[in-house]
Amino acid sequence: MIQRPYTVVLIVPTGVGAAIGGYAGDALPVARAISAICDRLITHPNVLNGAQLYWNLPNALYVEGYALDKFASGCIGLQPIHQNRVGLILDQGIEPELRVRHLQVADAARATLGLNLTDYVVTDAPLNVELRTAASGASWGTIGNPDSLLRAAEVLIQQAKADAIAVVARFPDDLGSEALQAYRHGQGVDPLAGAEAVISHLIVRTFQVPCAHAPALMPLPLDPDLSPRSAAEELGYTFLPCVLVGLSRAPQFVESHKAKFQLPAPTQNFTSRRGDIWASDVDAVVIPASACGGSALLSLSRQSQTQIIAVEENQTSMQVSPEDLGIQAIRVNSYLEALGVLVAHRAGISAEALSPSLSSLHCLSVRGKPASRST
Amino acid sequence: MSHSLSTVTMTTHFITAEIDIQETPVQLQQAIEAELQKRGEPLRWAITRVDSDRQIAQVEAIVTVESDTAAAL
Repeated sequence: MIQRPYTVVLIVPTGVGAAIGGYAGDALPVARAISAICDRLITHPNVLNGAQLYWNLPNALYVEGYALDKFASGCIGLQPIHQNRVGLILDQGIEPELRVRHLQVADAARATLGLNLTDYVVTDAPLNVELRTAASGASWGTIGNPDSLLRAAEVLIQQAKADAIAVVARFPDDLGSEALQAYRHGQGVDPLAGAEAVISHLIVRTFQVPCAHAPALMPLPLDPDLSPRSAAEELGYTFLPCVLVGLSRAPQFVESHKAKFQLPAPTQNFTSRRGDIWASDVDAVVIPASACGGSALLSLSRQSQTQIIAVEENQTSMQVSPEDLGIQAIRVNSYLEALGVLVAHRAGISAEALSPSLSSLHCLSVRGKPASRST
Repeated sequence: MSHSLSTVTMTTHFITAEIDIQETPVQLQQAIEAELQKRGEPLRWAITRVDSDRQIAQVEAIVTVESDTAAAL
Protein backbone atom coordinates (compact mmCIF):
# COMPACT_ATOMS: atom_id res chain seq x y z
CA MET A 1 0.00 0.00 0.00
CA ILE A 2 1.32 3.42 -0.88
CA GLN A 3 0.93 6.04 1.85
CA ARG A 4 1.76 9.68 1.79
CA PRO A 5 4.94 10.62 3.70
CA TYR A 6 4.09 11.38 7.32
CA THR A 7 5.21 14.97 7.80
CA VAL A 8 5.64 16.70 11.16
CA VAL A 9 6.39 20.35 11.91
CA LEU A 10 8.20 20.92 15.21
CA ILE A 11 8.13 24.48 16.52
CA VAL A 12 9.87 25.84 19.61
CA PRO A 13 9.56 29.62 19.26
CA THR A 14 12.79 31.58 19.54
CA GLY A 15 13.52 33.92 22.44
CA VAL A 16 10.57 33.00 24.67
CA GLY A 17 12.44 31.08 27.36
CA ALA A 18 11.18 27.63 26.38
CA ALA A 19 12.17 25.19 29.12
CA ILE A 20 13.19 22.76 26.38
CA GLY A 21 14.71 24.46 23.33
CA GLY A 22 15.17 27.90 24.83
CA TYR A 23 18.91 27.46 25.30
CA ALA A 24 21.76 26.02 23.24
CA GLY A 25 19.97 23.84 20.72
CA ASP A 26 18.49 21.82 23.54
CA ALA A 27 15.38 20.79 21.61
CA LEU A 28 17.62 18.80 19.27
CA PRO A 29 16.98 15.55 21.16
CA VAL A 30 13.24 16.15 20.64
CA ALA A 31 13.86 16.67 16.92
CA ARG A 32 15.96 13.51 16.76
CA ALA A 33 13.23 11.49 18.45
CA ILE A 34 10.46 12.84 16.20
CA SER A 35 12.55 12.36 13.08
CA ALA A 36 12.85 8.68 14.00
CA ILE A 37 9.08 8.16 13.84
CA CYS A 38 8.10 10.33 10.87
CA ASP A 39 9.05 10.45 7.22
CA ARG A 40 9.78 14.18 7.10
CA LEU A 41 10.46 16.61 9.91
CA ILE A 42 10.23 20.33 9.22
CA THR A 43 11.79 22.46 11.91
CA HIS A 44 13.78 25.64 12.35
CA PRO A 45 17.29 26.76 13.36
CA ASN A 46 16.36 27.44 16.99
CA VAL A 47 15.62 23.73 17.37
CA LEU A 48 18.59 22.34 15.46
CA ASN A 49 21.40 24.80 16.20
CA GLY A 50 23.68 23.79 19.04
CA ALA A 51 26.56 26.16 18.27
CA GLN A 52 29.50 23.75 17.98
CA LEU A 53 27.13 20.79 18.18
CA TYR A 54 24.74 19.58 15.49
CA TRP A 55 23.27 16.31 14.30
CA ASN A 56 22.66 15.23 10.77
CA LEU A 57 19.01 14.21 10.39
CA PRO A 58 18.59 13.03 6.79
CA ASN A 59 14.81 13.46 6.87
CA ALA A 60 14.79 16.89 8.54
CA LEU A 61 14.25 20.15 6.68
CA TYR A 62 16.00 23.19 8.19
CA VAL A 63 13.64 26.10 7.57
CA GLU A 64 14.16 29.58 8.99
CA GLY A 65 11.21 31.14 10.84
CA TYR A 66 10.08 33.65 8.21
CA ALA A 67 10.09 30.94 5.55
CA LEU A 68 8.30 28.59 7.93
CA ASP A 69 5.53 31.17 8.34
CA LYS A 70 5.22 31.58 4.56
CA PHE A 71 5.31 27.82 4.06
CA ALA A 72 2.52 27.38 6.63
CA SER A 73 0.42 30.05 4.94
CA GLY A 74 0.71 28.29 1.58
CA CYS A 75 2.78 31.06 0.00
CA ILE A 76 5.82 28.89 -0.63
CA GLY A 77 6.72 25.24 -0.91
CA LEU A 78 9.91 23.56 0.24
CA GLN A 79 12.15 21.94 -2.34
CA PRO A 80 14.65 19.45 -0.92
CA ILE A 81 18.12 19.79 -2.46
CA HIS A 82 21.38 17.86 -2.26
CA GLN A 83 23.66 20.80 -1.58
CA ASN A 84 23.62 24.57 -1.20
CA ARG A 85 26.51 26.91 -1.84
CA VAL A 86 26.59 28.82 1.41
CA GLY A 87 27.67 32.46 1.41
CA LEU A 88 29.01 33.96 4.64
CA ILE A 89 28.35 37.54 5.79
CA LEU A 90 30.53 38.93 8.56
CA ASP A 91 29.51 42.08 10.41
CA GLN A 92 32.08 44.87 10.04
CA GLY A 93 31.68 45.38 13.79
CA ILE A 94 33.47 42.08 14.53
CA GLU A 95 36.99 42.57 15.90
CA PRO A 96 39.86 41.29 13.66
CA GLU A 97 40.77 38.31 15.82
CA LEU A 98 37.15 37.22 16.22
CA ARG A 99 36.69 37.58 12.45
CA VAL A 100 39.59 35.22 11.85
CA ARG A 101 38.06 32.70 14.24
CA HIS A 102 34.88 32.68 12.16
CA LEU A 103 36.74 32.40 8.89
CA GLN A 104 38.59 29.41 10.30
CA VAL A 105 35.25 27.77 11.08
CA ALA A 106 34.21 28.32 7.48
CA ASP A 107 37.45 26.78 6.23
CA ALA A 108 37.09 23.89 8.67
CA ALA A 109 33.57 23.23 7.43
CA ARG A 110 34.94 23.03 3.88
CA ALA A 111 37.93 20.85 4.73
CA THR A 112 36.49 18.58 7.41
CA LEU A 113 32.82 18.34 6.42
CA GLY A 114 33.13 18.96 2.68
CA LEU A 115 30.66 21.83 2.66
CA ASN A 116 30.46 24.14 -0.33
CA LEU A 117 31.04 27.78 0.61
CA THR A 118 31.41 30.82 -1.62
CA ASP A 119 33.82 33.65 -0.89
CA TYR A 120 32.65 35.78 2.02
CA VAL A 121 31.56 39.41 2.43
CA VAL A 122 32.17 41.89 5.24
CA THR A 123 29.31 44.38 5.62
CA ASP A 124 30.08 47.95 4.52
CA ALA A 125 29.01 49.27 7.95
CA PRO A 126 28.68 47.78 11.44
CA LEU A 127 25.23 46.22 11.78
CA ASN A 128 24.73 47.71 15.26
CA VAL A 129 22.47 45.07 16.77
CA GLU A 130 20.44 46.31 19.74
CA LEU A 131 18.78 43.91 22.17
CA ARG A 132 15.47 44.39 23.91
CA THR A 133 13.28 42.44 26.30
CA ALA A 134 9.57 43.10 25.84
CA ALA A 135 6.81 43.25 28.44
CA SER A 136 5.94 39.63 27.69
CA GLY A 137 9.45 38.55 28.66
CA ALA A 138 10.34 37.67 25.06
CA SER A 139 13.63 38.90 23.65
CA TRP A 140 13.48 41.05 20.54
CA GLY A 141 16.02 43.23 18.81
CA THR A 142 16.58 45.79 16.12
CA ILE A 143 19.33 46.26 13.56
CA GLY A 144 20.91 49.67 13.14
CA ASN A 145 22.01 49.12 9.54
CA PRO A 146 19.69 46.65 7.84
CA ASP A 147 20.58 48.05 4.41
CA SER A 148 24.21 47.11 4.93
CA LEU A 149 23.14 43.55 5.74
CA LEU A 150 21.01 43.36 2.60
CA ARG A 151 23.73 44.82 0.36
CA ALA A 152 26.12 42.12 1.58
CA ALA A 153 23.56 39.40 0.88
CA GLU A 154 22.93 40.82 -2.58
CA VAL A 155 26.64 40.56 -3.44
CA LEU A 156 26.80 36.95 -2.27
CA ILE A 157 23.69 35.93 -4.18
CA GLN A 158 24.29 37.82 -7.40
CA GLN A 159 28.08 37.78 -7.72
CA ALA A 160 29.16 34.70 -5.77
CA LYS A 161 26.03 32.70 -6.71
CA ALA A 162 25.35 31.72 -3.12
CA ASP A 163 22.06 29.93 -2.64
CA ALA A 164 21.98 30.13 1.16
CA ILE A 165 23.27 32.83 3.49
CA ALA A 166 24.97 32.50 6.88
CA VAL A 167 25.25 35.74 8.87
CA VAL A 168 27.57 36.44 11.77
CA ALA A 169 26.68 39.70 13.51
CA ARG A 170 28.54 41.23 16.42
CA PHE A 171 26.22 41.15 19.42
CA PRO A 172 26.70 43.27 22.53
CA ASP A 173 28.77 41.56 25.23
CA ASP A 174 26.72 41.60 28.38
CA LEU A 175 28.98 39.95 30.90
CA GLY A 176 27.43 41.13 34.13
CA SER A 177 23.74 41.06 33.23
CA GLU A 178 21.28 39.01 35.23
CA ALA A 179 19.69 37.75 32.01
CA LEU A 180 22.98 36.27 30.81
CA GLN A 181 23.72 34.67 34.16
CA ALA A 182 20.25 33.13 34.26
CA TYR A 183 20.63 31.89 30.68
CA ARG A 184 23.97 30.25 31.44
CA HIS A 185 22.25 28.47 34.31
CA GLY A 186 19.39 27.20 32.13
CA GLN A 187 16.81 29.74 33.24
CA GLY A 188 15.05 32.74 31.72
CA VAL A 189 15.05 33.92 28.14
CA ASP A 190 17.91 33.83 25.62
CA PRO A 191 18.64 37.57 25.40
CA LEU A 192 20.09 37.24 21.87
CA ALA A 193 17.54 35.04 20.16
CA GLY A 194 14.95 37.63 19.21
CA ALA A 195 17.46 39.85 17.43
CA GLU A 196 18.97 36.84 15.67
CA ALA A 197 15.58 36.01 14.22
CA VAL A 198 15.17 39.57 12.93
CA ILE A 199 18.44 39.31 10.98
CA SER A 200 17.58 36.05 9.25
CA HIS A 201 13.97 37.13 8.63
CA LEU A 202 15.20 40.24 6.79
CA ILE A 203 17.30 38.22 4.38
CA VAL A 204 14.69 35.53 3.75
CA ARG A 205 11.97 38.14 3.19
CA THR A 206 14.10 40.11 0.75
CA PHE A 207 15.84 37.37 -1.23
CA GLN A 208 13.80 34.19 -0.62
CA VAL A 209 16.89 32.10 0.13
CA PRO A 210 17.61 29.98 3.20
CA CYS A 211 19.37 31.96 5.91
CA ALA A 212 20.48 31.49 9.50
CA HIS A 213 22.46 33.51 11.98
CA ALA A 214 25.22 33.00 14.51
CA PRO A 215 26.17 35.75 16.96
CA ALA A 216 29.79 36.83 17.40
CA LEU A 217 30.66 37.32 21.06
CA MET A 218 33.82 37.40 23.10
CA PRO A 219 34.36 34.11 24.98
CA LEU A 220 32.86 34.13 28.48
CA PRO A 221 34.84 33.41 31.63
CA LEU A 222 34.62 29.81 32.80
CA ASP A 223 31.50 29.01 34.84
CA PRO A 224 31.73 25.66 36.62
CA ASP A 225 27.96 25.74 37.28
CA LEU A 226 26.97 26.09 33.64
CA SER A 227 23.67 24.38 32.78
CA PRO A 228 23.92 21.39 30.44
CA ARG A 229 21.18 23.07 28.34
CA SER A 230 23.43 26.09 27.72
CA ALA A 231 26.78 24.34 27.55
CA ALA A 232 26.95 23.81 23.76
CA GLU A 233 27.53 27.53 23.29
CA GLU A 234 30.64 27.54 25.45
CA LEU A 235 32.70 24.91 23.69
CA GLY A 236 34.61 27.19 21.39
CA TYR A 237 35.00 30.62 19.87
CA THR A 238 31.97 30.67 17.59
CA PHE A 239 28.39 29.42 17.17
CA LEU A 240 28.83 29.07 13.41
CA PRO A 241 29.37 25.32 12.75
CA CYS A 242 25.73 24.28 13.21
CA VAL A 243 24.54 27.13 10.97
CA LEU A 244 26.81 26.11 8.08
CA VAL A 245 25.78 22.47 8.44
CA GLY A 246 22.07 23.32 8.58
CA LEU A 247 22.20 25.65 5.59
CA SER A 248 24.27 23.25 3.50
CA ARG A 249 21.16 21.11 2.95
CA ALA A 250 18.35 23.51 3.77
CA PRO A 251 15.48 23.25 1.28
CA GLN A 252 15.00 25.96 -1.30
CA PHE A 253 11.72 27.82 -1.68
CA VAL A 254 9.27 27.59 -4.54
CA GLU A 255 6.47 30.04 -5.00
CA SER A 256 2.87 28.93 -5.03
CA HIS A 257 0.84 30.10 -8.00
CA LYS A 258 -2.24 29.76 -5.83
CA ALA A 259 -0.87 31.87 -2.97
CA LYS A 260 -3.22 34.45 -1.58
CA PHE A 261 -0.37 36.64 -0.40
CA GLN A 262 2.18 38.46 -2.50
CA LEU A 263 5.81 37.76 -1.72
CA PRO A 264 8.01 40.86 -1.41
CA ALA A 265 10.41 39.41 -3.98
CA PRO A 266 10.20 36.46 -6.35
CA THR A 267 11.87 33.24 -5.30
CA GLN A 268 15.25 32.48 -6.87
CA ASN A 269 15.73 30.15 -9.81
CA PHE A 270 13.77 27.25 -8.42
CA THR A 271 10.65 26.13 -10.21
CA SER A 272 8.06 23.87 -8.71
CA ARG A 273 8.54 20.17 -9.24
CA ARG A 274 7.30 16.83 -8.01
CA GLY A 275 8.54 16.18 -4.48
CA ASP A 276 8.09 19.75 -3.31
CA ILE A 277 6.48 19.94 0.11
CA TRP A 278 3.48 22.18 0.79
CA ALA A 279 1.50 23.11 3.88
CA SER A 280 -1.23 20.69 2.83
CA ASP A 281 1.32 17.87 3.26
CA VAL A 282 1.71 18.55 6.98
CA ASP A 283 0.17 15.81 9.12
CA ALA A 284 1.05 17.10 12.58
CA VAL A 285 2.48 20.11 14.40
CA VAL A 286 4.15 19.90 17.80
CA ILE A 287 4.28 23.15 19.80
CA PRO A 288 4.65 24.29 23.43
CA ALA A 289 1.13 24.63 24.86
CA SER A 290 1.71 28.21 26.07
CA ALA A 291 3.17 29.52 22.80
CA CYS A 292 0.40 29.04 20.25
CA GLY A 293 0.32 32.66 19.05
CA GLY A 294 2.71 32.45 16.12
CA SER A 295 1.82 32.95 12.49
CA ALA A 296 2.80 29.43 11.38
CA LEU A 297 0.50 27.71 13.86
CA LEU A 298 -2.42 30.01 13.08
CA SER A 299 -2.03 29.16 9.40
CA LEU A 300 -1.69 25.42 9.91
CA SER A 301 -4.66 25.32 12.28
CA ARG A 302 -7.04 25.89 9.37
CA GLN A 303 -6.20 22.46 7.95
CA SER A 304 -8.52 19.85 9.39
CA GLN A 305 -6.14 17.00 8.51
CA THR A 306 -3.30 18.51 10.53
CA GLN A 307 -3.11 17.24 14.12
CA ILE A 308 -1.83 19.91 16.50
CA ILE A 309 -0.12 18.59 19.61
CA ALA A 310 0.40 21.07 22.45
CA VAL A 311 3.10 20.12 24.96
CA GLU A 312 2.42 21.45 28.45
CA GLU A 313 5.76 20.59 30.04
CA ASN A 314 7.68 22.88 27.70
CA GLN A 315 6.77 26.10 29.48
CA THR A 316 7.56 29.48 27.96
CA SER A 317 7.16 33.16 28.82
CA MET A 318 4.17 33.32 26.44
CA GLN A 319 0.60 32.95 27.67
CA VAL A 320 -1.30 31.85 24.59
CA SER A 321 -2.97 28.45 24.70
CA PRO A 322 -4.63 26.76 21.71
CA GLU A 323 -8.01 27.22 23.44
CA ASP A 324 -7.45 30.98 23.73
CA LEU A 325 -7.44 31.20 19.94
CA GLY A 326 -10.00 28.54 19.12
CA ILE A 327 -7.36 26.12 17.82
CA GLN A 328 -8.25 22.44 17.99
CA ALA A 329 -5.34 20.63 19.63
CA ILE A 330 -4.48 17.54 21.63
CA ARG A 331 -2.84 18.52 24.91
CA VAL A 332 -0.08 16.26 26.20
CA ASN A 333 2.15 16.62 29.21
CA SER A 334 5.52 15.81 27.66
CA TYR A 335 7.37 15.26 24.40
CA LEU A 336 7.47 11.56 25.29
CA GLU A 337 3.67 11.60 25.24
CA ALA A 338 3.68 13.66 22.03
CA LEU A 339 5.78 10.95 20.40
CA GLY A 340 3.11 8.41 21.32
CA VAL A 341 0.36 10.56 19.81
CA LEU A 342 2.40 10.92 16.61
CA VAL A 343 2.98 7.18 16.34
CA ALA A 344 -0.72 6.48 16.84
CA HIS A 345 -1.74 9.20 14.39
CA ARG A 346 0.63 7.90 11.75
CA ALA A 347 -0.70 4.38 12.24
CA GLY A 348 -4.29 5.57 11.93
CA ILE A 349 -5.12 4.73 15.55
CA SER A 350 -7.35 7.07 17.52
CA ALA A 351 -5.46 8.21 20.62
CA GLU A 352 -8.72 7.74 22.60
CA ALA A 353 -8.57 4.00 21.95
CA LEU A 354 -5.30 3.81 23.88
CA SER A 355 -6.80 5.14 27.11
CA PRO A 356 -8.79 3.00 29.60
CA SER A 357 -12.02 4.96 29.25
CA LEU A 358 -13.77 5.16 25.92
CA SER A 359 -17.26 6.59 25.84
CA SER A 360 -20.07 5.27 23.63
CA LEU A 361 -20.98 6.99 20.41
CA HIS A 362 -23.84 9.48 20.47
CA CYS A 363 -26.42 9.85 17.78
CA LEU A 364 -26.44 13.21 16.06
CA SER A 365 -29.77 14.86 15.51
CA VAL A 366 -31.21 15.36 12.05
CA ARG A 367 -33.12 18.63 11.45
CA GLY A 368 -33.21 19.33 15.17
CA LYS A 369 -34.86 16.01 16.12
CA PRO A 370 -32.81 13.88 18.53
CA ALA A 371 -32.85 10.25 17.38
CA SER A 372 -33.10 7.39 19.84
CA ARG A 373 -30.35 4.81 19.79
CA SER A 374 -31.44 1.73 17.85
CA THR A 375 -30.80 -1.70 19.28
CA MET B 1 14.22 42.40 -7.13
CA SER B 2 11.97 45.34 -7.66
CA HIS B 3 14.38 48.05 -6.58
CA SER B 4 18.06 48.74 -6.00
CA LEU B 5 19.00 48.27 -2.35
CA SER B 6 21.47 51.15 -2.54
CA THR B 7 18.59 53.65 -2.84
CA VAL B 8 16.61 52.32 0.14
CA THR B 9 17.06 53.36 3.73
CA MET B 10 15.37 50.86 5.97
CA THR B 11 14.86 50.98 9.71
CA THR B 12 13.62 48.27 12.06
CA HIS B 13 11.14 49.02 14.86
CA PHE B 14 9.73 47.11 17.79
CA ILE B 15 5.99 47.75 18.23
CA THR B 16 3.06 46.38 20.21
CA ALA B 17 -0.60 46.16 19.28
CA GLU B 18 -3.92 45.00 20.69
CA ILE B 19 -6.17 43.14 18.28
CA ASP B 20 -9.75 41.98 18.79
CA ILE B 21 -10.11 38.22 18.83
CA GLN B 22 -11.78 37.08 15.60
CA GLU B 23 -14.05 34.20 14.79
CA THR B 24 -11.28 31.98 13.44
CA PRO B 25 -7.49 31.83 13.91
CA VAL B 26 -6.93 32.68 10.24
CA GLN B 27 -9.15 35.78 10.50
CA LEU B 28 -7.18 36.82 13.57
CA GLN B 29 -3.94 36.39 11.65
CA GLN B 30 -5.26 38.58 8.86
CA ALA B 31 -6.42 41.23 11.33
CA ILE B 32 -2.99 41.29 12.99
CA GLU B 33 -1.15 41.63 9.69
CA ALA B 34 -3.50 44.39 8.53
CA GLU B 35 -2.94 46.33 11.76
CA LEU B 36 0.85 45.91 11.64
CA GLN B 37 0.85 46.94 7.99
CA LYS B 38 -0.36 50.38 9.05
CA ARG B 39 2.87 50.86 10.95
CA GLY B 40 5.39 49.30 8.54
CA GLU B 41 6.13 46.04 6.78
CA PRO B 42 5.66 43.19 9.29
CA LEU B 43 8.84 41.16 9.69
CA ARG B 44 8.18 39.06 12.79
CA TRP B 45 5.29 38.98 15.21
CA ALA B 46 3.65 36.87 17.87
CA ILE B 47 0.58 36.97 20.05
CA THR B 48 2.06 37.01 23.53
CA ARG B 49 -1.07 37.01 25.68
CA VAL B 50 -4.83 36.79 25.29
CA ASP B 51 -7.11 38.82 27.55
CA SER B 52 -10.18 36.61 27.47
CA ASP B 53 -12.36 39.09 29.38
CA ARG B 54 -11.78 41.85 26.83
CA GLN B 55 -11.35 39.39 23.95
CA ILE B 56 -8.09 41.06 22.98
CA ALA B 57 -4.86 39.54 21.67
CA GLN B 58 -1.69 41.35 22.67
CA VAL B 59 0.88 41.32 19.90
CA GLU B 60 4.59 42.14 19.86
CA ALA B 61 6.24 42.72 16.49
CA ILE B 62 9.15 44.00 14.51
CA VAL B 63 8.26 46.03 11.42
CA THR B 64 10.52 47.61 8.87
CA VAL B 65 10.00 51.10 7.53
CA GLU B 66 11.60 52.59 4.43
CA SER B 67 13.01 56.09 4.47
CA ASP B 68 10.05 58.02 3.10
CA THR B 69 7.67 56.69 5.78
CA ALA B 70 10.07 56.50 8.76
CA ALA B 71 8.84 59.82 10.16
CA ALA B 72 5.32 58.42 10.59
CA LEU B 73 6.32 56.22 13.55
